[in-house]
Amino acid sequence: MLTYIIRRVLILIPMAFAICFLVYLGLELTPGDAVSHMINPDALGSMNADQLEALRQSLGLGQPFYVRFWAWFTNLIQGNFGYSMNGGVPIGSIIATRLPATLELAAVALVFSTVLGCLLGVVSALSRGSRTDNVLTVIGMLGVSIPEFFFGLVAILVFALNLGWFPVGGRSMPGYMTLWDRLPHLVLPSLVLSIMLTAGVMRYARSSMLDALSRDFIKTARSKGIPEWRVNLLHGFRVALTPVVVLIGFRLPVLIGGSVIIEQVFQWPGIGNEFISAVRSQDYPVVMTIALLSVMAVLLASLIVDILTAVIDPRVRLGE
Amino acid sequence: MHMKKLMALAVAGLMSTTFSGSVAAQPINDNQLSDPRVRQAIAYAIDMDTIAETIFEGQAVPAVGMLPDGPNKPTDLEPYAYNPDKARELLAEAGWDSNRVLDVVYYYTDQQTADLMAAIQAYLADVGIQMNYRLLEGDIGSQISVVPDDPVNGPSKVTWDMLYGARAALALQEYFNRYAYGLKPMIPNIPRMNELVAKVNGTTDPEVQREGYFEMEHIINENVYQIPLYYQQLFTYESDRLNRNGAPYGNEQYNYDWAVETWTIEPDASGKGVLYTNAGPAQFFEVPWQNLGIWVHNKFAFDTILEADGTLTPIGGELADTYSVSEDGLTFTFTLKDGLTWHDGEPITVDDVVFSIGAALKFPITQPVLQATLKKIEGAEAYVAGEADTLAGVTTEGNTVTIKFASIDPNVLLSFSQFAPLPARHFEGVDPLNLQQAPFWQKPIGSGPFKIDEVVMNDYTTLVPFEGYHKGTPKIEQIIARPSSDNDGNLLVNATAGKADFGYTKSAADVPGLEALDFMNIHPIDIPYTRMLWINQFEHPAN
Repeated sequence: MLTYIIRRVLILIPMAFAICFLVYLGLELTPGDAVSHMINPDALGSMNADQLEALRQSLGLGQPFYVRFWAWFTNLIQGNFGYSMNGGVPIGSIIATRLPATLELAAVALVFSTVLGCLLGVVSALSRGSRTDNVLTVIGMLGVSIPEFFFGLVAILVFALNLGWFPVGGRSMPGYMTLWDRLPHLVLPSLVLSIMLTAGVMRYARSSMLDALSRDFIKTARSKGIPEWRVNLLHGFRVALTPVVVLIGFRLPVLIGGSVIIEQVFQWPGIGNEFISAVRSQDYPVVMTIALLSVMAVLLASLIVDILTAVIDPRVRLGE
Repeated sequence: MHMKKLMALAVAGLMSTTFSGSVAAQPINDNQLSDPRVRQAIAYAIDMDTIAETIFEGQAVPAVGMLPDGPNKPTDLEPYAYNPDKARELLAEAGWDSNRVLDVVYYYTDQQTADLMAAIQAYLADVGIQMNYRLLEGDIGSQISVVPDDPVNGPSKVTWDMLYGARAALALQEYFNRYAYGLKPMIPNIPRMNELVAKVNGTTDPEVQREGYFEMEHIINENVYQIPLYYQQLFTYESDRLNRNGAPYGNEQYNYDWAVETWTIEPDASGKGVLYTNAGPAQFFEVPWQNLGIWVHNKFAFDTILEADGTLTPIGGELADTYSVSEDGLTFTFTLKDGLTWHDGEPITVDDVVFSIGAALKFPITQPVLQATLKKIEGAEAYVAGEADTLAGVTTEGNTVTIKFASIDPNVLLSFSQFAPLPARHFEGVDPLNLQQAPFWQKPIGSGPFKIDEVVMNDYTTLVPFEGYHKGTPKIEQIIARPSSDNDGNLLVNATAGKADFGYTKSAADVPGLEALDFMNIHPIDIPYTRMLWINQFEHPAN
């Protein structure tokens, strides 16, 4: 197992490098640069081109892109994330302030959706063909089909504007010190983010559970007189959990990359919001750092899924 | 109605006939857009009244002339009222090639602009002109502003036939300065315009300037070098909780005497007078020399040397106690008020002012009018080039700063009414080229009525009254600024939730939603902001 993990971690490095290079190249091919985004187009005609060029040079934008990429990469491996081109803020500081907001939101959503999704999926499978199953199936279809921004807007309209139970957006307010203070801000975005995740987990859990329950070992267990709840939960659910874990695992990167849509709709100051701002303003050091974090999150999630699958299902042996 | 329209058409026809005598009705090269009859036809073909009422829901004013209404605009300009028959007639006369497809570009990303492009496409198609339109992205400057090597004969370096854009002016000269020799990407040199641009920039006499504006407006209007479409308004929104106590309204994009220290707000449930606003910083506070007063939080936090009224006419000193301009217009002197301090309690000194003038001169994205003023200071060129350590034209004595200019600048008072000095000691070792990247802009220290208290970037910023403020301590107890801005759905959401008591928007699309809130009051304000079409008369490469 250890050899397998070490080998996988080593493979991550060239993969992360290649993906970052491609992201950098994509950014390079996008028209314009950070300086062109600093100026209102209405004022462009009156700006001094020489001074703008001097600004470009001072930000290192005059160098060929491969030189800039290499400079960024070598700084990175020395632990230096660099600075935002727009505001000069250390990127480490940007990540440090934005990541907790995203983690807070995504962790709540992930836990909530995993527990509820699995529970509803199992209930749906165990009551296959019943009214409960049909209702849950329809809800699941709606959950995965309707875009999350729509749920977000409806939630704001109903629970924030009409009922006034929760704030319309933002993560905090002046004077809020603890998570408990911020809880009202967290409820709507995390619930909306949970909806899609829950629906997906529920559908996976249902079909996986149905598949497991049709296996021979379940019949064997029943024939041995094991109580039905033990058959379902200890034998059926454990096997059914494997594909669900894969699904949940691949959603872990949301913890790092943030949910761009939800963060925008709920004015949540997370990493997804930051990423969008950075892409729009072609602030490539920020874009690259967040992209790298997301890439690493995906690759690590993949590794974690492999390991967890092996733990859950003893038939799977890593590296063999 | 028909009679009224016919009369309007008759008048328009008569006026256009009058103009044809003063306009050379011939193309100047193989590009048919260089034929004034074609440009006039385009102007006649677009029904701006209908567009203003429909696409802009009445929140735009159809434009006649480049300048906004006022004493500097002649009243006898040809309005080019909608007249498709006249347009077709002119096109036939000019021998318009109906197979030609015009390439029209724009750089605004809002839906109303896309709708406007579609409307113009339909109007032009109606008179026999085909056009396609596309959004410019990326480095807009290189696509719209690059000038030809030969400003007389071209070809132009821009690839489009028409550009939809705007002129948002602080000083009226900005509407015309690009007509100076070699500065226009799409219009051949016009000798008389060169002279007039020099005239309005070379005097501080408003009468002489007005003569110049009148003549330039006529030249542009008669030759349709540009097609002004509409004047954009700015909309201030205020909740019923806010009371400005008679303080004036003005052009919110700039600094003016808005007497914010006298505003009051109804206390909230906890008894605290909290004002909510929008457009709080998302990543950093912007240097207040770039967009001057465009960010509300910057206006709360920074005072300027002089003060302007709502129309941006300089009316007195703000940080300055007294000021004067010499008779020859080449020396500007002002004396700072006694006892001024920054928000951290440190005194505001002439050294701060001198540092700020030098830094603004070197800061590459200082607002163009302000930068033009600063560049005329004696020794500015050597200072920017690094050949001099100090600005020769700026001297101090006690609390007085004297600025000598190498040549007349017509906007000295205007520029200094928009110029907020910064505390020099916070910028030691900072290259003015990278001023915006200084850590100072994460929580700046200003001189204005409110000081920045708490900053949670992209979430909220709070400001509290500056008790040492020289005009008296503000009455509002706290300001909370959220980052949503105009043309942003979150603005309306925040306003509906009672989290936007004051702000402004330039997006007409925001107005109906804000107006629908029964506790919100909307004040449209005329500002010098003209949306227009530029027409590329040069022969040019295809896009």
